[in-house]
Amino acid sequence: MARILYIEDIQDNITLVEKIVTSRGHDFLSARNAEQGLELAFTSKPDLILLDLGLPDADGQTLSVWLKGDPILSSIPILVLTAWPEEVVRQTVSAYNLNGYLCKPFALIDLVNTIDSILGAKTA
Amino acid sequence: MTIEPIPADRFTIQELTDLYNQTRVDYLVPMPMNADRLGEYVHDFDIDLHQSCVARSDDGQVLGLSMLGFRRNTAWITRLGVLPASRRTGTGSALMDCMLENANTLGVKETHLEVIKNNEPAYKLFLKKGFVETDTYLVMRHAPRPLGDSLQGEVTWMDFETAIEKLSAYPKHLTWINACESMSNSPNTEGLYLSLPEGAGWLVYRNTKFTLRSTLSHLIMHTEQGDPVEVGTQLLSHLHTHYAHHDTYAENIHEHDPHLPAFEALGYFTNFSRIEMRRSM
Repeated sequence: MARILYIEDIQDNITLVEKIVTSRGHDFLSARNAEQGLELAFTSKPDLILLDLGLPDADGQTLSVWLKGDPILSSIPILVLTAWPEEVVRQTVSAYNLNGYLCKPFALIDLVNTIDSILGAKTA
Repeated sequence: MTIEPIPADRFTIQELTDLYNQTRVDYLVPMPMNADRLGEYVHDFDIDLHQSCVARSDDGQVLGLSMLGFRRNTAWITRLGVLPASRRTGTGSALMDCMLENANTLGVKETHLEVIKNNEPAYKLFLKKGFVETDTYLVMRHAPRPLGDSLQGEVTWMDFETAIEKLSAYPKHLTWINACESMSNSPNTEGLYLSLPEGAGWLVYRNTKFTLRSTLSHLIMHTEQGDPVEVGTQLLSHLHTHYAHHDTYAENIHEHDPHLPAFEALGYFTNFSRIEMRRSM
């Protein structure tokens, strides 16, 4: 099973995703802002990061640059979970070299399948 | 329901931050802030918290907020937001009336604001309050990426004072966010000047330090001589070679800015557009 870090400022979203992730047997960690998220990524070395783009200090795009720019963290896949318009998210994921996205509101099964797919690709 | 406007300076920055974030939770482009960022915003954009408003119902419920920036003869309405449960109750209209009344009291000649394109409810409210559309601006992003080996020209990096001196002579209109006063209020402002064989220009920007990293934002570019696309491409190439690992957020680039092809050539893409609106008082 994997360790998954969710960086998201809205507690209701964290609670929902935590239920899904832990029901699949994964370890779950969360951070409410970019700087906490970066620190937690350093200390916990997660297998996957779920990232919201709208964060209250630095936004998700900036945080992804910090994560990808660090040699220890750069290989951790990042899945964007956001309410931003899909075309903007698509461009963002491509430009920032991220691993995928789901636009809110998304079906829970899509989250499960996308997590499985990214983790499967990582271990394959 | 009676809506009472309360001066925002009766609230702490943390309380205003929490309220602002709650108003934006389902926004077209959610952009939450923390108290440090809102405090910086108030400082950098000359927000007058006494003239800014929190809307409260007669039963004491907080409904929304709006902020008013003030510089000489101009006011700027920003951060207007209503809690999702309080929409369609006249709160937004009451907040706008409060802002316009306060702007009038300050003796301004014109009030400005910006609205995200496709935010129809807000846009219609502003039209109803007498605002007219002036220009459209792009908010663009640039992720770090490898650059080709094509740097040309001689670059001089500008410190805060030199960058502000250049910006103060900028010949075109800048929105409130990138105006010389806003850039002067930030200690993170710096710039670069470029001389090419057949051109010259400058780029002023903010290099904001977070606890762990830095990021670039608020780019303003000007070509003094030569082709804006050529000068702009070289200015951005030098910037992103120097700051190879910085994320960049370029706010309020005019939709017809002659440097736009340079931004696009360097990999910038549009996140969203803003419409600037003005109202004579």
